[in-house]
Amino acid sequence: MDRAISQPKPGETTWLWLLKLVTGVLVVLILGTHLIVQHLVSPEGLLTFEQVVEWVSNPWVALMEGTFLVLAVCHALMGVRSVLLDLRPSQGAIRIIDITFLIVGVVAIGYGFWLLRAIQAHGVG
Amino acid sequence: MTTNTNENRALIWKALSWFDVRWRAPGTWAFALNRITALGLALYLSIHLVVLSTLATGKDAYQAFLDAVNMPVIHFGSYLVVVAGIYHGLNGLRIALTSFGIAVRYQKPIFAGILLFTIIVSLYVFLQMFHII
Amino acid sequence: MAEKKWNVTFLVNRQKGDGPGRLEPFRLEVNPDEYVLDAVERIWAFHDRTLCFRHACHHSVCGACGMRVNGVEKLTCITHIKDVTKDGGTVKVEPLRHFPVESDLVIDMTPFYSRLEAVHFPQVVPLNEAPDPDSDSIARDRNAPSDLARLVDCIECAMCISACPVPLTNPDYQGPAILAAIQHQGIAKNPDLLPFADNKNGAWRCHSAYECSEVCPSNVDPGWRIMDLRKQVVTTRIKNLFGSK
Repeated sequence: MDRAISQPKPGETTWLWLLKLVTGVLVVLILGTHLIVQHLVSPEGLLTFEQVVEWVSNPWVALMEGTFLVLAVCHALMGVRSVLLDLRPSQGAIRIIDITFLIVGVVAIGYGFWLLRAIQAHGVG
Repeated sequence: MTTNTNENRALIWKALSWFDVRWRAPGTWAFALNRITALGLALYLSIHLVVLSTLATGKDAYQAFLDAVNMPVIHFGSYLVVVAGIYHGLNGLRIALTSFGIAVRYQKPIFAGILLFTIIVSLYVFLQMFHII
Repeated sequence: MAEKKWNVTFLVNRQKGDGPGRLEPFRLEVNPDEYVLDAVERIWAFHDRTLCFRHACHHSVCGACGMRVNGVEKLTCITHIKDVTKDGGTVKVEPLRHFPVESDLVIDMTPFYSRLEAVHFPQVVPLNEAPDPDSDSIARDRNAPSDLARLVDCIECAMCISACPVPLTNPDYQGPAILAAIQHQGIAKNPDLLPFADNKNGAWRCHSAYECSEVCPSNVDPGWRIMDLRKQVVTTRIKNLFGSK
C-alpha cells in the first residue's frame, strides 16, 4: 500500500507559503505605482529613454523598483514551484527545482539591481 | 507497464484538466483563471526582465527595441498582461483573505465582484491603450 | 391522476479494474421524482445484473452512493432525476474521480480510509468540542456539558476528494476530508497531527477552488475547515518559534 502521508522538514512549508502570500500582497500594492508611473504617465505608454533615466535616478524610485523586483521574482518563482509541486515530482526532482529556482532568483535579482545601476549611470554627467 | 513518455503524456493531459471547468462551481473557475494568469505573468516577467537590458546598452538600443515592439500584436499582448495582472492580483488578495478564515462564506460573491471589476477596468484600459477614448 | 413518466437515457460507466471505461446507454421509463439511485438499481435489476455499484441507507447518511452525475459529484439517493435532466434527456453516471475503479461505479476507498485512520478521525465528539462552520467561535456551545455527544458531520462519502482539482495530478494530496478531519480535532489538542497538516501535500496544497464545499452533502464545509486549519498551523508554528507550547 502506498505511504499515505509524506513527511517534509517540520515547518518548512508553512514559512514558504506565508512568504508567497506576503510577497503577493506587497506586489499588488507596489504594482499599482509601477504601472501608473512607468506605463500610464507617458502619452505613448512607454517612457522615453531620457525619462526612464531621470525616473530611475531618483533614489526612492530605485528603491521602490528594486523592492518590486525582489517581491515579484520571489512570488513568481514560488508560484511556479507550487504549480510544479501539483505535478507530484519525486523528491529528487523537487531538490533540482528548488536549487534551480534559487539560482534563477538570485541571478534575476542580481541582474535587476545591476540594471538599475546601469540605467542610473547613463544619467551621470 | 507504461513507458515514461506515456506517463508524461498522461500527466500533461491531467494538468490540462485543471482548466476543464465544465459543470464545476465558480471556485474552480477562479482557480483555473488564477493558474492561467499566473503562468502568463511569470512568462511575461522573464521576457520583461530580459528586454529591459536594452536600457543598459543605451538610448539607441532602447529606441530600436521600442520601434521593434511597436506592433498591434505586441500591444494586444501587453493589454492581456495588464488584464491578467488585475485579475491575478485581486484574486490573490481574495485567497490571502480566505486563507486566514476571513470572509470564506463570501468567497463566491467576492469572486463575482473581482470578475466584474476586472471586466470593467479591462474595457477602460482597452479603450485607453488603443486610443478609442 | 396518472403518474408522470419520462423517457430518459442513462449513460452508465462500465469498466473492470484498470481497463478502459465506456458509457453504456440504458433507456428507462422513469418517474422524474424518483432518484438517480432508483434508476441505477432498476438497470441492475431488469437490464444488466453485472452492473456494480454501492448503496446502503438510501437517505444520505451513509455516503455509499456517491457518484458523478452529469460530471458533478452527488449522493444519488437524494438526487431527483428531474433535477439533472428532462423528458427525453440523458443522465451520465460515472464513478467518483481520483480513486482506482474496481468495477463500473465502484471505487477502491482504501487510500481514503487509511488516511482517515492515520489521522485518528473520530465519529463522535463531545458537544462543546465540535467546531461548526456556522458558529462564530470555533467551538460550538461552550456551555454544553462535555459528556453530551455529537455525531460528526462527515459521512466519508469522498465526494470532496473527487471534486477537488488537486488530485488530478497529485494523488498524494491528502484531500479535503482528511484535512477537515484534522481541523475538526484541532492541532492544539492533537499536536501529533501537525506534520500531517503542515506538509506540501497537506493544507498548503489546497488552491481554494472550494469544490469540496460545493459538493459536500453534509454540514462539513471542508473549504472553510482547510482555511481554519491553515490558521491553526501558522499559529502553532509562530508559537513554537517563540518557545511557547
